[in-house]
Amino acid sequence: MRGTDYVLKRVGFAIVTVFVAVTINFVLFRLAPGSAVSNLSRVPHATQQLRHALEVQFGLDKSKWQQYLIYLKQLAHGNLGVSYENEQPVSTNLRIALINTLPMVTLGTVFSIIFGIFTGVIAAWRRGTKTEGATVSTALAFYSMPTQWLGLMLIILFAGILPTGGMTNEFLLNPPFWTHVKDLASHIFLPALTLGLVLYGEYTLIVRSAMLETLGEDYVLTARAKGLKPRTIVRTHALRNAMLPITTLIALSLGYIVAGAILVEIVFSWPGIGRAVYEAVLERDYPMLQGAFLVLTISVVFFNLVADLLYFKLDPRISE
Amino acid sequence: MSEASFFVESPEVGTSRTRALLRTLRHRRSAVIGTTILVAVILTAVLAPWIAPYDIHTQVGAPFEPPSWNHPLGLDDGGIDMVSLLMWGMRISLVVGFAATFVSMVIGGSIGLVSGYFGGKTDTILMRITDYFLVIPDVPLMIVVAAIWGPSLFHIIIVIGILLWTGTARVIRAQVLSVRERVYVKRARALGAGHFRIVMRHVLPQVAPLLIANTVLTIAVAVFDETALSFLGLSDPSRISLGKLIENAFERAAISAGAWWAIVPPGVLVALIILACSLVGGALEDALNPRLRVAHLSARTFRLRPLVGRSKEAL
Amino acid sequence: MTAPLLQVEDLHVWFDLEDGGELHAVQGVNLSLEPGERLGLVGESGCGKTTTALAIMGLLPSSASVSGRVLLDGQDILVGGEAAIRPHRWVDIAIVFQGAMNSLNPVRRIGDQIVEALELHGRAKGDTARARTAELLESVGIPAGRASRYPHELSGGMRQRAAIAMALSCNPRVLIADEPTTALDVMVQAQILELLDGLCRDFELALVLVTHDLPVVAQLCNRCAVMYAGEMVERGPLETLYHTPGHPYTRMLFAASPDLGALNEAVVSIPGAPPRLDRPIDGCPFRPRCDSVFDACGVRPRLDQLAEDHDAACHLNSRVPA
Repeated sequence: MRGTDYVLKRVGFAIVTVFVAVTINFVLFRLAPGSAVSNLSRVPHATQQLRHALEVQFGLDKSKWQQYLIYLKQLAHGNLGVSYENEQPVSTNLRIALINTLPMVTLGTVFSIIFGIFTGVIAAWRRGTKTEGATVSTALAFYSMPTQWLGLMLIILFAGILPTGGMTNEFLLNPPFWTHVKDLASHIFLPALTLGLVLYGEYTLIVRSAMLETLGEDYVLTARAKGLKPRTIVRTHALRNAMLPITTLIALSLGYIVAGAILVEIVFSWPGIGRAVYEAVLERDYPMLQGAFLVLTISVVFFNLVADLLYFKLDPRISE
Repeated sequence: MSEASFFVESPEVGTSRTRALLRTLRHRRSAVIGTTILVAVILTAVLAPWIAPYDIHTQVGAPFEPPSWNHPLGLDDGGIDMVSLLMWGMRISLVVGFAATFVSMVIGGSIGLVSGYFGGKTDTILMRITDYFLVIPDVPLMIVVAAIWGPSLFHIIIVIGILLWTGTARVIRAQVLSVRERVYVKRARALGAGHFRIVMRHVLPQVAPLLIANTVLTIAVAVFDETALSFLGLSDPSRISLGKLIENAFERAAISAGAWWAIVPPGVLVALIILACSLVGGALEDALNPRLRVAHLSARTFRLRPLVGRSKEAL
Repeated sequence: MTAPLLQVEDLHVWFDLEDGGELHAVQGVNLSLEPGERLGLVGESGCGKTTTALAIMGLLPSSASVSGRVLLDGQDILVGGEAAIRPHRWVDIAIVFQGAMNSLNPVRRIGDQIVEALELHGRAKGDTARARTAELLESVGIPAGRASRYPHELSGGMRQRAAIAMALSCNPRVLIADEPTTALDVMVQAQILELLDGLCRDFELALVLVTHDLPVVAQLCNRCAVMYAGEMVERGPLETLYHTPGHPYTRMLFAASPDLGALNEAVVSIPGAPPRLDRPIDGCPFRPRCDSVFDACGVRPRLDQLAEDHDAACHLNSRVPA
């Protein structure tokens, strides 16, 4: 069946992309000249045993090609080395960081998508009016703001009203469940809002563009000729069709989401994977940096694949 | 489809693309605003050494001194005049933006040209590689490379430029594909013209306007990427860019000191630059892709006019 | 005398242009249609015939402004704008467009789109609607099972049939067909025309056939209206227009159609291009391309009656023979 063909192709592409990223990772960190060469065993203050174990695991005395293969093998086992900073396995650090990042990024992205679709549809619908102008201008304004700066602006705005750093209030010891939830919510609000505001602008423009395109299609004219009310047409014909390019374009913005997440986590001291990248850079903690890059790339590739498959499901024309 | 769409397009058959671009820049309000902002910013940046009121390496007052007549935007944490810092900061931000974009334009444009023109296996391989890089997230890779390579202006420019080419390559390739099929290209081939000559004289001029539109949009991304890298401390420590100013404000607790003048202006300037580039680039792109479709449906409907008359009068 | 089924009086349509000007796309068109009548609306592309058809159903975009009257059973349905026209769409007047590839929603099944029309106008619901859809499809020659297909799974001809089935679903009295066969190949064209012929007869439909293709008109229509540069230059029974055209453009149009031109005459194409409609026209719009220009043509001609049922807008008809 043609459908399976497409799915296999996309999955294959995703796997190869991850492979390319892994290779880039290897090349950058092992073959790069100078003091930046990461030697996975050069963990500061490490014991002789740890050093030796790592050297054996990653075969750091063998040829580059063999190192590459060993690196792949270690990756397959989930071994990303040991962090210079806290001497814990990179994979453990990253797992915690990822779990912290996901709720915040999901909240921000969902808000931006919903708000973006909403404003985009309004802008397309009220084309040529002041409403469209205002909607588009606001979207452009937020889109142009540097993420970290917007975060700082929101901190200024909400200082004293909402917490501006961290994920939880460390002074709350063993809080009851609802207090804990409220605490988390108050901390997640600003970073998620920042991310959402920075992202939504692009979606507004994308949705508006897709809707305008769809509203110019012949089948919209047919729907109108059939006597359907405009609101019905937008809902059952235009929006449904516009979702196709919208899905693709949202997938393409995943890279931007990652960049935004990193900056937001730095500004709000959110203990997620973005801040892990930041701290790894500050401390020149190369194993962590490598590992974080890999995790981020795999996440993006994964969500890209999801978007591809979603598009496939939405558009019956693809199965030809 | 319907004649309605034919009627609404301005009767401009045969106008060259470049003229269409220039007309857009002069008439479309968004393009005018964007161009004005960019010109103002570029002028300030170029003239900074002469018009900056104070030297940016000399302390002229207390740290985080509030705005005053002498210093309309106050001083930063090192007692240096903000206005001067901003002017010099614009220089570096723009230099990085333009230079990185130039790098990416050269790489992306060449790949797009070669890929679209030669087609076949070359095309497949090049586009496959482009696809992988399209998916791999830009900023993390930039961070990794910059962290390993070390902070310097040159490195930053190369790092940003090397990762921005993917978008340009795809767009240019699509355009080249359509140009390649045109009659005059085929005729040139039949007459025995070499590939290089054809590309330079026939393909490139048709592709250039789109390349320009794409370049302007890329500048916006490059400027943003520079602020992101600066915020992670990966920019050249000996140079001040707008991104670095934001980072300084963050690092040196400008917020706790209540020194909004150290935080707000650099971000506003970055936003203005990115906004201006987006406006101009977007307007240019629109002019080149006249998908001038009529919206068959919108909130407003057709308007009614009073009756003209029972029959046309003979003149 | 009872009012005609459909009457268009002094219809003007203007489109706003990007640079602030206006395009006068339709310039004072008059039409009338009796029940069961077949009218061909012909002209080159860009002459305003499709815009006229769309204006009748109020399907113009927001950049359009309209003046004139559209009378259905003697009642002006245009004067109330979109809200007044909408109730008449599909149940009184229906339309079929060119190239049903895009005029049917590509991501919805054929059957669902027909059911939508039935349910919207209260003709049927749920299973009854589905059954009725199957009937409709069969009546245009599509096996009922195809209702669950998407448009791209059908051939061009099948899609057009489906569009026709959908148009007839609410039993309209007028069917407008805008270039219904233009995108189809010759064999399929003939089938579609035959289908339209049969359906119009069986359901006593009045037909407005908008096309630039004269042989198509000859096959289906008994009356014909010729448009040029936004205005009507001639109208009357097809035979009359063919044998005794009252306008040089009509004559040249017929001559340019290979199978309608006389056998011993060379096929003539009409050189030149129609005038721009974004500025007022001086004199007769056809003047630059006409082969019979004389001094009176500096004045714009009116649509004058030549005979009982034959009007034309050309000074030649009022020229006193020397």
